[in-house]
Formats: sequence, structure tokens, C-alpha cells
Amino acid sequence: MALLETRGLVKRFNGLTATDDVDIAIEEGERVSVIGPNGAGKTTLINLITRMLDPTEGDIVFQGESITNDAPYEVVQQGISKSFQTASIFPELTVEENAEIAALGAEHGSFRLNFLCHRNRYSAVDDGTKRTLEAVDLWGQREVPAADLPYGDKRRLEIGIALASEPDLLLMDEPTAGMSPEETNATVSLIEDVKEELGLTLVLVEHDMEIVFEVSDRIIVLNRGRVIAEGTPEEIQGDPDVQEAYLGGVEL
Amino acid sequence: MSDESANPTETETDGGETVSGGTGTTSLSGIRTRWERVRERESTVIVLTIVGVALFPYLLARAPVVSDLLQGYQELASLILVWGIFAIGFDLLLGRTGLLSFGHAAIWGGGAYAAGWLSANVVQSPLLIVGIAVLFAVVLSVVLGVLSLRRGGIYFAILTLAFAQMIYYMASAPLAFITGGDNGLTGVEIGPLLGSFDLGSELPSIAGTLLGTWRYAFIAAALVVSVAVIHRILNSPYGIVFRAINENERRAEFVGFDVRRYKLAAFVLSGTFAGLGGALFTVHGEYVPLSSLYWTTSGEVVIMTVLGGVGSLLGPLIGAGIYLWVEYIVSGGYPFDWIGPYWHLVLGLIFVTVVVLFPQGVWGLVEDGRAWITTRLEDR
Repeated sequence: MALLETRGLVKRFNGLTATDDVDIAIEEGERVSVIGPNGAGKTTLINLITRMLDPTEGDIVFQGESITNDAPYEVVQQGISKSFQTASIFPELTVEENAEIAALGAEHGSFRLNFLCHRNRYSAVDDGTKRTLEAVDLWGQREVPAADLPYGDKRRLEIGIALASEPDLLLMDEPTAGMSPEETNATVSLIEDVKEELGLTLVLVEHDMEIVFEVSDRIIVLNRGRVIAEGTPEEIQGDPDVQEAYLGGVEL
Repeated sequence: MSDESANPTETETDGGETVSGGTGTTSLSGIRTRWERVRERESTVIVLTIVGVALFPYLLARAPVVSDLLQGYQELASLILVWGIFAIGFDLLLGRTGLLSFGHAAIWGGGAYAAGWLSANVVQSPLLIVGIAVLFAVVLSVVLGVLSLRRGGIYFAILTLAFAQMIYYMASAPLAFITGGDNGLTGVEIGPLLGSFDLGSELPSIAGTLLGTWRYAFIAAALVVSVAVIHRILNSPYGIVFRAINENERRAEFVGFDVRRYKLAAFVLSGTFAGLGGALFTVHGEYVPLSSLYWTTSGEVVIMTVLGGVGSLLGPLIGAGIYLWVEYIVSGGYPFDWIGPYWHLVLGLIFVTVVVLFPQGVWGLVEDGRAWITTRLEDR
């Protein structure tokens, strides 16, 4: 059984069909990239899976259960976490508190009546915070307000927040957008490490073809809301449809 | 030690002696970090609050020089603490969670009317009156919160205002047989504390000199409990979740929090203190004016909180103190006889000056001053 499946997923915005009958299946432990030209429906697909958007038709199944009617926070609690394209962090909190919030969300669930319990009683949260910040290499800057981090570090903190939620499936929306080449390399190796160490299933939406071919086990190509090709990086590279639609016929 | 570093308070209590031995050599900065840790500790906050409320009425009403300068009196000290409870609770919502309610008059007034009605019709024990009135305020907060939190931002503020005004009009006419309508609720009779201490009488010996009356002691105890509870809330998971919602609501939802329920929790917790303040307002004045439900009361608590400093534990209390001092002392023609009728203007000028020059309020000014002094000391 696949970890995540979409069945006949359709999303229309006032007559514009953003995703058109999309069936994808993500297996546990896979690294899958979703690519496609601008407007292909990649972000819409991610937003449907995280329940930021309601699908017009179709079903989303995670670990055998439909999540189509869940609220976004319930989806996170079930084990799907997302790292945003623009660093969506808590700017005035310290780096440590940023990770702590996510670890707290993972440890405590969506809501608890514990407003009279001191935070220093929850050592599991502290462990999760530390583990995450060490994984994204920000433990040394834990006391810095998140807003004061350089851009690349903010993006890594963003990934850290997503990781601290202890997901089974991590959706990454263009994790290297706007990064310098060095930052991009650091992020790619971070993604590799995360995959190795935590055994996460990854879905990556990415524009940078080099990264896509480097980190993916499988690639799904979207065009005008439809899946037009699916396969290993080698298969996709040689697929004439993909070259036509996505690369405009340019040889890779 | 490294495992415990995430837990400074515990490390402190466990290894207090070794820490002091280590920092003894590093003089000023060592003392400062040590003091900062002690200051953050819960027991320190409570002890300092107790000392503060014990000295406050003495300084305001009886101490030589200071009280002449402030022109205060005993009843003003009680009133400041009553509004202070309202304001520090309100800040849980405004300063921490970032939600501006313009309808807290409904909860404050609800608590005040509940306490007044109970004392006139059911019980006279101050503890019971306040306890039941707070429960009533909690229920009222849940209802208002659920209805108002359906929308965010300005719509939330307008909804709270609308519901509060509805309650005001209900109290002014249709429910006048309970509330006394425009005349307010009269016939309030507060009995002795624990059956034996008349609230209006003086405390014995030194306590009498410092605190004054049993009434003040009762209100001061409620303030200390409120500060302790709010300090605990801020250091519980709720404290950090509220700040997270304030800064980036969408992200808070996307790390798995049920943001709406946490917002409701913030609303109800702040409403609890609003209700407590309202009930104590009745205990203090033995009368409930209809204006306690009016929207200007909601405005006053916003001004007090912003003036004192949003997002600080004790700032709103200072804001309440300044506001009421101007309202009661300056309006009486102090320091100049002619200034009395212009007290609203004085308040406006103070408010504008503080907001423009010190956006973090009076408390922010205190913090800046302290930071300036400590850096100066360390540069030596």
C-alpha cells in the first residue's frame, strides 16, 4: 500500500482547472520530485494534499485513511509536514523557540489543557528541539532571533521546523529557491542527510533540474494540471513528451 | 551540565551553590546573569509582587514626601489593583496572542453584575461572590469567544464590540429588573471575609500601616494569585503557542496546532481575569454602574494595556495605575487647580507621547533604562 495516494484529484478555480484528474501514489521511503512548467499545478497539488485548499473532486488517502475532510492541523498531526517556499518562520522568536514550537506540536498534539504546567517539565520537547537544530546545523545559533538569520539559514530553519513536526512524509516547496550556489549545495546535502537519518518519505517541488535529477528516485511531470509522465530520472530525461511540454524541446 | 542547559531554572535550583562558586570571580556580569536567572524564577516573581502590593498603598496614601507628591488615597490603591487584574489578563489576548478585543467590557461588567446580584440576593461571603462571578465570566467568555473568533483581525474586534454593545443594551432596558437599568445595581452588600473580618476595617498593627484595610488585602491577594497564574501560563506550552499564533498564524497551524481552540483558550483565560476584576470592582465599590458594560470600558482597558506595555507581565498594571491616577487625582485639580477639567487631554497627551516615543509602553522604557545602565556598568 502506498503511503500517500491521490485519486482523481480535481481542483477548479472559477472555470480554470488547476489540477485535472491527478492520480499519484507515493511509496514509503521514496524521494519523489514533482516538476512542470509554471502554472502546471504543482503548488496547487501540494496545497490540496496539505488541505490548504479544498479539492473540487477526488480523494486523498494517507496511510490508508482519507484525509480529504481534515483540517490542515489534523493533516500535520497525521504525519504530513510541509516546508514553505518562502521561509515561514516565527521571526521574533529565537531559533530554539522556533524549533520548540514545532516539537511541541508533535509531542502534544493539536490541543491540550495544560496551561498550568511549566514548560520545563517536558524534556521530550527539548530533546526534539535539540535533535532538529543539530540536524539542520543551527544549534550554535539557537539564541539568535530568527529574523536576524541570513537568508539561507532562515530557509534551513524553515526545513527544521518542518522536520521537528516529526513527519512521515515531508513536502518541500522549492527548498532552494533564491539560494546562492553554496547554500543550494548545503541544502541538497541536508536533504540527503535527512533522508538517510530519518528515513523520511520526501516529495519535492523544484525548478532546479540539477537538484531534481540528483536527489530523486522518481519524477512526476505535470503539465496543465495533468500528469504527463512518471519515471526514474533517466526515463524522464529521455521522454520526448516531457522535453516538448516542459523544456520546450531543448536537449538536456 | 550540558544536558541540562535547556533547563536553566532547574539547573539553578539543583546546583545553586556550585554556580555561585563559579561566578564569584567574574564580578558584575556574573552577578547580573545570576540575578536574571533568579528574577525569572516563579517564586521571585511572586515574592516581588507581594512586596510591591504591600508597599503600594503606603507609598500612595501614607508615606511621607512620596504620598504628598502623589496625592493618593487608600481607595485609589484598591481600584488600581482591580483594574490592574483586568489589564494584565487582557494582555494575554492583546499582547501575547495578538487579538484585539473591543468587547471585554461585557465580561468585566458581567463579572461585576454577577457579583452584585449574588450579594444582593444570594450570598454575602466575598470569596463565594467572587468565585461564582468568575465562573459566570468564564461561561460568558466561552460564548462570546466562540461567536467572535469566527473572523480574524478587524472583524474580530468589531464582532466583540457588537456583542458587548448588545449586552449593554440588554442590561439597560429589557433586563433592568435584574440590573437596575440606568441607575445601576444598588443594594450590594458585601459580608465579612471568612465570616469574621469586615472588609472596611483596618488591618492590625504594621499591616494596617502598609496595606490599610481588609478590603485592600483581599484585592491584593487576588492580584498576587493572578500574577502567579499568568506567569505560569506564559511559561506553560500556551505561552509559546500564543506567541507563535501572534507572529505567524498560518505556520502555527502547519506545525499541527488547532489555532482556533488556542485562540479561544486565550480569550477565555483573559476573560477569566476580566471577570475577576469586575467582581472585585463590585466588592470595592459596593455598586455596579451600567457604564461597566459600556464600550468605553473596553477602550479603557486597551489604553491601560498599551500605555503600560503590551507583552509584558506587569506593564499593564502600571498602565492602569497611570490611567486611574490621572482620572482621579489630576481631574481633581492636581498639580494645578485649572487642570481638573482637562484630565482627558492630559491622559491623551501622555498616551500619545508614550506610544510615539516608547512603542513598548512604560514597561519598555523601564527595560530600556535597565539595559542602558547594565551596559554602562559592564563597560567599566
